[in-house]
Amino acid sequence: MNAKLKETILNPIFKGNPITVLVLGICSSLAVTVTMKGALVMALSVIVVTGISSLILSLLRNTIPGRVRIIVQLVVVAMMVILVDQILKSFEATYAIDKQLSVYIGLIITNCIVMGRIEAFALGNEPWPSFLDGIANGAGYGMILLIVAFFRELLGSGTLFGIDILNWLGYVPNNLVILPPFALILLGCIVWVQRSIQKDLQEK
Amino acid sequence: MNTNNNLYTVIYTTLIVVVVAALLAFVSQSLKGKQEANEKADTISQMLTASGFGTKAEFQKMGNAAVLAKYADVIGQAFTVNAKGEKVSDLDLSKVYSPSELKRQNYNIKGTGTGEAELPVFIFKDGTTVVPIYGAGLWGPVWGYIAFEKNSNVIKGAYFDHESETAGLGAKIKDDPEFQHEFNGETADFAGTDVFSIVKGGAPKDANGKSLVDNKIDAITGATMTSQGLEAAIDTWLGTYAKYFLKTMEE
Repeated sequence: MNAKLKETILNPIFKGNPITVLVLGICSSLAVTVTMKGALVMALSVIVVTGISSLILSLLRNTIPGRVRIIVQLVVVAMMVILVDQILKSFEATYAIDKQLSVYIGLIITNCIVMGRIEAFALGNEPWPSFLDGIANGAGYGMILLIVAFFRELLGSGTLFGIDILNWLGYVPNNLVILPPFALILLGCIVWVQRSIQKDLQEK
Repeated sequence: MNTNNNLYTVIYTTLIVVVVAALLAFVSQSLKGKQEANEKADTISQMLTASGFGTKAEFQKMGNAAVLAKYADVIGQAFTVNAKGEKVSDLDLSKVYSPSELKRQNYNIKGTGTGEAELPVFIFKDGTTVVPIYGAGLWGPVWGYIAFEKNSNVIKGAYFDHESETAGLGAKIKDDPEFQHEFNGETADFAGTDVFSIVKGGAPKDANGKSLVDNKIDAITGATMTSQGLEAAIDTWLGTYAKYFLKTMEE
């Protein structure tokens, strides 16, 4: 694998993470991080949507009329989001989670990460790197989602993936952690940690 | 190739929209059966939860097949009634009312639908009677099931669901078991004008926190509109069922 491709994959995971550095997709990361299960399904959905939309649009990039390119992007992303939603609704195992995530699966279309990567990367690059870029950005988003969900489910419900971790020790679940503001506090802490490691992000 | 040509743009967008629409229609049609099976099992588990046969989480773990089997095991009879309290027709015991069918009946109740309201009544073998309710929340529809003790107006349990109420606020009608438990032991005043109330600021209580008025419970803090919508849904539907329940209570 050449260095550029490696950079494409690794950059969105840490150095250029869509949530903590670009501060995109904040809304859904506050909403769907109450449980690990919900966060995992959301993360995988976003990875699929960003990856495949980037691939399709990169394949079409030389044929898309410049004036309507945003509309064409929207159509493709919307298609992917609806497909993911329909598939989640069809399986017994994911039906309840889809119901719990409700509007947020549909709202992946408004997630700036998806359109941002298509506009900034997929329209100017070959299909394979575009696909990897989409997957990596989805993964960078999903990773933060899972970190936030880990603390929120553990402290808010005393469980992880629905399995009792703290409750049998007599832990009293903290309701504040369940509420969206705490997700924002946690996100702030993650940004803080990242900025103290990665000095070039600090403003003078 | 000149991709900025008007004709090219029009043909290109038309083509892509048609292709995407065809694909989505195909996928939607081919997955419809599975989705309906999931929705049916979900509806049944809501009715069973309201009737006290278990909790929603337990039914979720059981899987669709087990939920259907459990339902077939406990259901006694199902039929529809009209607003005059008369029985209209028997229902197939394997049939339940999906939210979209409840929506249709909701129009009928309000007189804006295609016919007279024919509302389903489900009676379990132990006599527990379950009826659905349906109405408008803040962002979308809310619905649910209220279970009554045998031939009585005493509520045994309730379960509510919604399409898109605010998580952490209005969504509590579904997610907060404490809110649903408030219904247990309350009564619906079928003879009166105000069948049931969800009171903002709290229902009157005695010093021990015991509800003083039987058909009033506390609304959800921060979800006034959802609470009001749910109250309206309960009043409208139970109001339409009133004559049927008054008849059974006389028996």
